[in-house]
Amino acid sequence: KKKISILMALILPLLLVLSSLCSSCLAAILAFLSEDAQDLDAYTLAKSFYDLKEYDRAAYFLRGCKSQKAYFLYMYSRYLSGEKKKDDETVDSLGPLEKGQVKNESLRELRVELSKKHKAKDLDGFGLYLYGVVLRKLDLFKEALDVFVEATHCLPLHWGAWLELCNLITNKDMLKSLTLPDTWVKEFFLAHMYTELQMIEEALQKYQSLIEAGFSKSTYIISQIAVAYHNIRDIDKALSMFNELRKQDPYRIENMDTFSNLLYVRSMKPELSYLAHNLCDIDKYRVETCCVIGNYYSLRSQHEKAALYFQRALKLNPRCLGAWTLMGHEYMEMKNTSAAIQAYRHAIEVNKRDYRAWYGLGQTYEILKMPFYCLYYYRRAHQLRPNDSRMLVALGECYEKLNQLAEAKKCYWRAYSVGDVERMALVKLAKLHEQLNESDQATQCYIIYIQDVFSCGEILEHLELSTAFRYLGQYYFKSKRYNEAFICAQRCCDYNDAREEGKALLRQISQVRGEADPASTDLSLPFLYGPLSATNTPVRRMSPLNLSSVTP
Amino acid sequence: MASVHDSLYFNPMMTNGVVHANVFGIKDWVTPYKIAVLVLLDEMTVSKCISLLEKRRLNKLILPLLQGPDMTLVQLLKTVEDCCPQLAYAVHLRLHLMADGELKDMESFFDVLPSPFNETESEAHKSSVVGLFMRHMVLAYNKLSFSQVYKLYKALQQYYKSYERKAPPASDATTDADMEQLAPDSLGRKVEKQDLDPSPSDDDVASTEPLSQKQAEYFLAQQAYFLKNDENKALKPAGLQNELNNMLKFNPDFAEAHYLSYLNSMRVQDVFVSTHSLLHYFDRLILSGSDSKSNGDEGYGRSLRYAALNLAALHCRFGHYQQAELALQEAIRIAQESSDHVCLQHCLSWLYLLQQMKGSDSTVLTEHSVKMAVHFSLPYLASLGIQSLVQQSAIRGKNAKKLINALKDTDILHWKHSMSELIDISIAQKTAIWRMYGKSTMALQQAQMLMNMNSLESVNLGVQQNNTEAFTVTLCHLAELHAEQGQFQAASEILKHLKERFPSNSQNAKLWMICEQKIQFDRALNDGKYHIAESLVSVISALCKTEGLYRKALVLKAQNQTSEAYQVLQGLLVYCEKTKCTEMTIRVMLAIAELYWRSSSHGIVLPLLLQTLALSREHHLQKLASETVLHLAFSQLMLGIPEQALNILHMAIEPILAHGAVMDKGRALLLVAKCQVVTSASVPADQRHQALVVAIQNLEEARSYFDKVDCRDRVRDIFYLQARLYHSLGKTLERNKCAMLFRQLNEELPSHGVPLLTRL
Repeated sequence: KKKISILMALILPLLLVLSSLCSSCLAAILAFLSEDAQDLDAYTLAKSFYDLKEYDRAAYFLRGCKSQKAYFLYMYSRYLSGEKKKDDETVDSLGPLEKGQVKNESLRELRVELSKKHKAKDLDGFGLYLYGVVLRKLDLFKEALDVFVEATHCLPLHWGAWLELCNLITNKDMLKSLTLPDTWVKEFFLAHMYTELQMIEEALQKYQSLIEAGFSKSTYIISQIAVAYHNIRDIDKALSMFNELRKQDPYRIENMDTFSNLLYVRSMKPELSYLAHNLCDIDKYRVETCCVIGNYYSLRSQHEKAALYFQRALKLNPRCLGAWTLMGHEYMEMKNTSAAIQAYRHAIEVNKRDYRAWYGLGQTYEILKMPFYCLYYYRRAHQLRPNDSRMLVALGECYEKLNQLAEAKKCYWRAYSVGDVERMALVKLAKLHEQLNESDQATQCYIIYIQDVFSCGEILEHLELSTAFRYLGQYYFKSKRYNEAFICAQRCCDYNDAREEGKALLRQISQVRGEADPASTDLSLPFLYGPLSATNTPVRRMSPLNLSSVTP
Repeated sequence: MASVHDSLYFNPMMTNGVVHANVFGIKDWVTPYKIAVLVLLDEMTVSKCISLLEKRRLNKLILPLLQGPDMTLVQLLKTVEDCCPQLAYAVHLRLHLMADGELKDMESFFDVLPSPFNETESEAHKSSVVGLFMRHMVLAYNKLSFSQVYKLYKALQQYYKSYERKAPPASDATTDADMEQLAPDSLGRKVEKQDLDPSPSDDDVASTEPLSQKQAEYFLAQQAYFLKNDENKALKPAGLQNELNNMLKFNPDFAEAHYLSYLNSMRVQDVFVSTHSLLHYFDRLILSGSDSKSNGDEGYGRSLRYAALNLAALHCRFGHYQQAELALQEAIRIAQESSDHVCLQHCLSWLYLLQQMKGSDSTVLTEHSVKMAVHFSLPYLASLGIQSLVQQSAIRGKNAKKLINALKDTDILHWKHSMSELIDISIAQKTAIWRMYGKSTMALQQAQMLMNMNSLESVNLGVQQNNTEAFTVTLCHLAELHAEQGQFQAASEILKHLKERFPSNSQNAKLWMICEQKIQFDRALNDGKYHIAESLVSVISALCKTEGLYRKALVLKAQNQTSEAYQVLQGLLVYCEKTKCTEMTIRVMLAIAELYWRSSSHGIVLPLLLQTLALSREHHLQKLASETVLHLAFSQLMLGIPEQALNILHMAIEPILAHGAVMDKGRALLLVAKCQVVTSASVPADQRHQALVVAIQNLEEARSYFDKVDCRDRVRDIFYLQARLYHSLGKTLERNKCAMLFRQLNEELPSHGVPLLTRL
């Protein structure tokens, strides 16, 4: 009886594997070589140990195996065992300064063995992938890059190799210089890469063509598109994509932190609350869940609790970049500037290219009333995101505080040129011109601002509209263009804070008109809503300024 | 998606999302080196056969051993052996037994260790330095977890093994063999060896051995001190940066390392890294001070103020004056808001420095700063302020008596507070001031005083002086003073010494470089080697722009390119007057006067020279004043009023002979002789004869001076004049001799076409 049961135990997995193989396809059966058959027992046993995270044990039982699959599992187990020990060692190190020295001891041996095999061209796609990972861990990036490229050629459908490649590529030229296999996976890779390199337009195009090519149901693509829209701050489109994603894949946790960021920005409390509860039901011990809950509390202005949840996220994964930055924001809200600085610094340590952390540091110092000091941080943020108007506006504000008005003007103008998100740059620019008595330029800015606000058709409350109309009215009145002044004064009356002044101006205008020429009351000049003509606008004197002179 | 390879497990050292570097709150950790030291201490208390002398030497050794960074066993045993050979042997033996034995040997060692505490008589008494160290170690050892103890033992074995491997000389072969086993494939072995070699090379043991908190602090403090006082002793910039990066990799919260990194990158003038490090340091500092949230004297409000101030200092040092001013304003504003007077005082000092750097008058600010510093009893700042004030006033030609008096008063203050750095600066300043006033003897005396003085805080025993800027300045002055007296050998000796003390990549090297170039330039110009002088001009311009322009004009003048020289000088004159650089202004004006002579417009020169004279007298610049008088006398001579020339020459001749450079002495005597000859024409014959003899004597003396500085051009002129005079006296023999010498020189030297008499 015992013998039979043992036999059964041995045969069963074999049968299972065989049946699964049979069903997959014919080619796989052909590839199922005699070596694999020989190693199958050991492999299956080791795989079970591997699944139980007993890496050394798995490696031990695989040591004599010849087949590629078993060899990969053997090496990979050894690698993971080294990594696990490294993490355990960190806790048990002799002294704090020794901590950074804890290394994965098996890496060197693995590298020697793998390089030997690599030279003999004895590695399959997975082997190459592992070799690349080992090289990357040893900080040999150049070699790792070559090996990963080779791995993608060898086994194009292994996404892991592509992802590793993605981590090693830092700029566009590097991407262009690589010779990659010409398969459909490459398109995915390129799209992913473009998103990473902030080339959002190209990425969106790629994804679109992938959808058209037959991947229309892929939730991965939808999520990537949503993230891409998030990156270019196209909030509406991103939100709709995420809603679509939630419909198709309701138990998804990945990327939901990004979704919650969007909901947060739009202050959509009920939706965010729903999302948080939903995710909490699915799995509450996930980084993304914690971030979502943190965002939720932050939106409810319960910043202590929010910080607590971000801390929990960081406990789950200390290298989670977003959580550091978000925690910094929470501390900022709580006016705990020193803790905020700490959090942001940690974020920068994890990723030097995190512009939000630099920006956050800048804001912290701005709150501490150190405008010159925060210039450095804003500049760093601006370097990382040259086309983001928020940094430019922040820089401009700092320069304004430092009374460097020329620089401030350049910043505001540049912020407007790259597409101002908050639409504040022009108003600030106009006010600067006003301050400097450059009334023509100020008028110009106000006109563009008003056109901007009305053309986008948002019914949002813009506080500065009244200011703009008031100034324009005064300006036209002074330059004796009463028709325009009259329109502006009328518009002024639409706003509470400028009503009195508007009325006063109207009275003045009618008074002057009564003296001069009572007949000419032609109000058919909708100059603000039609296209600007040369007759009713001051000559544009500003040119797009060279911003490079701003940053010394 | 987080990569699976980044971190598999969460880090239990984190609380509240913050990684704590030191979970157990222990600052000292047991390392193999510490065990070796413990063994040494134990042996010292146990063994009875140590002689008194050896004991004394050992006791002196203990403190550096306890506080210094970890050494290798070879180093440790060698230092101990120097003091007491048998003890070194005993330590070696015990370590050998421990490392070759089992884990229990180490455990039992720590069990036995505390026994000395029980004896009240022993050196290892509880409260002594040694006792404290032992207790620390025992405590740290007891807190180790099971696996840590084993790791420590492994490390000890490794430590001992590395010693054994190094002890026999043929050790390299074994390591190579090890390597071969590790990487048997022969093709990539060379590369692999470098990449895979885990054992550190012998030289940079310190960089790979982990330092304890205390040792790291000691290392940082020491390097920072070296950077300030004696750059040669500090690590090379690249090496130091490596070390710091290493340290920061292990412990990113170690804020001080960032500051040292800032100082280090200042050394190599790297604006990006230094800004980055400075801001990072203050970001970190704010963390550590976050416990007290008050904006008062302590806590992070304070570090914020100093952060802004330091940023200002950084921009100042890189010459970004506008940024520096903005940062300074910010620092001042924050300091004012929290009414931190000390910080404000520091800001004020930087403010006047900034004004000074920008070339505007900051006397009022400085005076105010000094008063406030005295009020808040900050002697260092007050003294610095006074010194800066003295420097400014000296340049602006204020009353010399008062200045020297002020310096004397501050000196008393320095000695009282033993501020050795300021004493050095003060003496260097006195040297410079005396030299500027043209009193070379006094300058020489002050310089010698500094050279013979021992610093109050020397970097290490045996060497009594630090390599600070003050020393560089004084040594440069010394070299120039010697060169002026024609003692070129001595000058070059001094320069050699300077080069040794301040290698060319150190911060102060610029000072001696320009000094060396100037000396060479003067020599080349005197010797008539204009092409050499011309090549030196570019070097001087690179080091100091104004000086370079001036020298360029001198070369142009010497090469008879009058109009070019005039253009350069005019430009320079405008610039100097704008920057209120009186010394240079006077020199430029004299050079312009000499240019006028070329066109024989002696009449025009006079008002210019009188202006120069007034200016130099007003600023008490005696040397330049005498030189101006010489010029004036020469012009008068050329205008045909030699009596008047002789009259005013009497004013100048005394200070020149007392303090002047050899060259000036020669020129003065030559001019006197010329005047005497011309005046003799109008006196009776017998007196005339007398006068000519005196003139010849003067010429002879002038010739000896010119000989000293190798000015053969002028020697030739003197021979000519002497020959003519002898001729008129009828002394044929002497005349012929002089004529022959003239002839010889004339053949050797190229004739530049400068008429003999139209030159001073």
